[in-house]
Amino acid sequence: MERRFVNLLLYVAIGGILFPIVVLMLWAFAREWPWPHLFPTGFSVRGWIHLFNPTTGALPVLLYSVMLSSLVAFITVTLSLPAARALAFYDFRGKRALEIFILSPMVIPTTAVAMGIHVNFIRIGLADTFWGVVICHLLPCIPYGIKILTGVFEALGDRIEQQARVLGAGRLKTYLYVTLPLISPGLITASIMAFVVSFSQYFLTFLIGGGRVMTFSMLLFPFIQGGDRHLSAVFSLAFIGTVLLWVFALEVLFRRWVKKGQYFYM
Amino acid sequence: MKSEKLRPYLMLAPVLLVEGWLIFAGICTALKQSLGHFPVAGLNGYSLKYYIAILKKPDFLRSLAFSFYVAFVSSVLAVVLGIFLAVLLVHSPRKENLSNYLYRLPIIVPHTIAVLLVLSMLSSSGILPRLLYVLGMTDAECAFPSLVFDKAGIGVILTYLWKGAPFATFMVYTILKNINPGLFEAALNLGASKWKAFFSVVLPLLKPAIIPSFLFLFAYAFGSWEVPYLIGPTYPRTLPVLAYTYYVSPELSERPYAMAVNIVMVAVSFLLIYIYSKQMTRARW
Repeated sequence: MERRFVNLLLYVAIGGILFPIVVLMLWAFAREWPWPHLFPTGFSVRGWIHLFNPTTGALPVLLYSVMLSSLVAFITVTLSLPAARALAFYDFRGKRALEIFILSPMVIPTTAVAMGIHVNFIRIGLADTFWGVVICHLLPCIPYGIKILTGVFEALGDRIEQQARVLGAGRLKTYLYVTLPLISPGLITASIMAFVVSFSQYFLTFLIGGGRVMTFSMLLFPFIQGGDRHLSAVFSLAFIGTVLLWVFALEVLFRRWVKKGQYFYM
Repeated sequence: MKSEKLRPYLMLAPVLLVEGWLIFAGICTALKQSLGHFPVAGLNGYSLKYYIAILKKPDFLRSLAFSFYVAFVSSVLAVVLGIFLAVLLVHSPRKENLSNYLYRLPIIVPHTIAVLLVLSMLSSSGILPRLLYVLGMTDAECAFPSLVFDKAGIGVILTYLWKGAPFATFMVYTILKNINPGLFEAALNLGASKWKAFFSVVLPLLKPAIIPSFLFLFAYAFGSWEVPYLIGPTYPRTLPVLAYTYYVSPELSERPYAMAVNIVMVAVSFLLIYIYSKQMTRARW
């Protein structure tokens, strides 16, 4: 009896979380939805045509945005790997202070530092450029990379690596054939978080990119602001779909790289 | 031997350089301009007059209070609901069921889309007013109280709640599922009520997840621009929206006000970092 009650509450909670997304899906295919109808009164794919129509340029922006955020995710993970290792395995002076500093962008509002960064980037010519946007996206992304990878390294320990070293593998070989495959689930999670954070950035992109660097978030924002429910629903679903597809593609790629059975997971 | 000692610093160097550069560039420029040193606009020398000026503005004080209110209410509610959902998930008979994945969906949905979701539920043409009308509880479109763009910030709070509660669940769930159920049962056997056992045995164990989630959610809600800009009231504005208004003003002389507001936000975040580091020390002990 109580179990049923727990399950019921759980379904209500999950339903409450997902219900708005169902409404969003209805909007994405609604031609008109006058008050007070509970369902749309007409069917339309106007937004989808807008999305896929080559003349509107929405798809190229989506691809460009995916590329930009993938690059941000790649740089984030590459920079975070050694740092997370250092935090997990080494004891050194000032470790706690450095750790807090590295994680601080999770708490320092990006809005507040973005304006100062913007003034600086204008001075050194990074404002309104692709690389300027990539670099400033690293700020909110790196703490996630570090946090996730440090946790993975700590859980894994360094005993297996030491075994590889004892058995005669060099540093590089150990890293490539032992460490990286062992932490690959963490690599996936860190990449996903960095990608999502970068892909979702609006304010930073808009301020630093100055409207020249067009990401998908920037296409979506005016639709939500302007109140075209149908178009914003279509673009939002495209956004969520792209993220899910990217996550799926990444998992498949990694699984192919870490061939089944060849390595063992902790 | 010496190179071994330097090793961790070298491994941290790339991250420290990138973050240090961006944070210092951001904060130092903001600090300089907020102190009135802004040669491009013909402002030279340093003074505190812009801070004194904003502290005297009722606009700024309302914004500060409003930001605190929105951030506090949304993050407390998110953590409470998050814990509740985590408890449900742990007690659900099938542990690795679909719910375990579905609840995480809001984590990958950006705040701008969360705003759209709240609008499609609660705005005057949203689903909730329609439902109430169909059920005969209201008799016209305008009879529904405005829950978005409202002075109480309900739209803003609900947006943060929808995003934040699953995040808190995610953080709490990992610890909760590893807590030995024997502890809870022992408390029951010793005569504690279920609630008492939960509050004095389980909740303290969850602290390492609860406090970081709360601080993170609070900081985000306090410092994010998109949500209050899209779904918040025109007055009072939250601090980020206020700073942005000053920043894009065609009058360059308004710029120091924007930066002063930014520095206030940074100061609040430093306070949060301080609380977090205190908490970490205690957790380690």
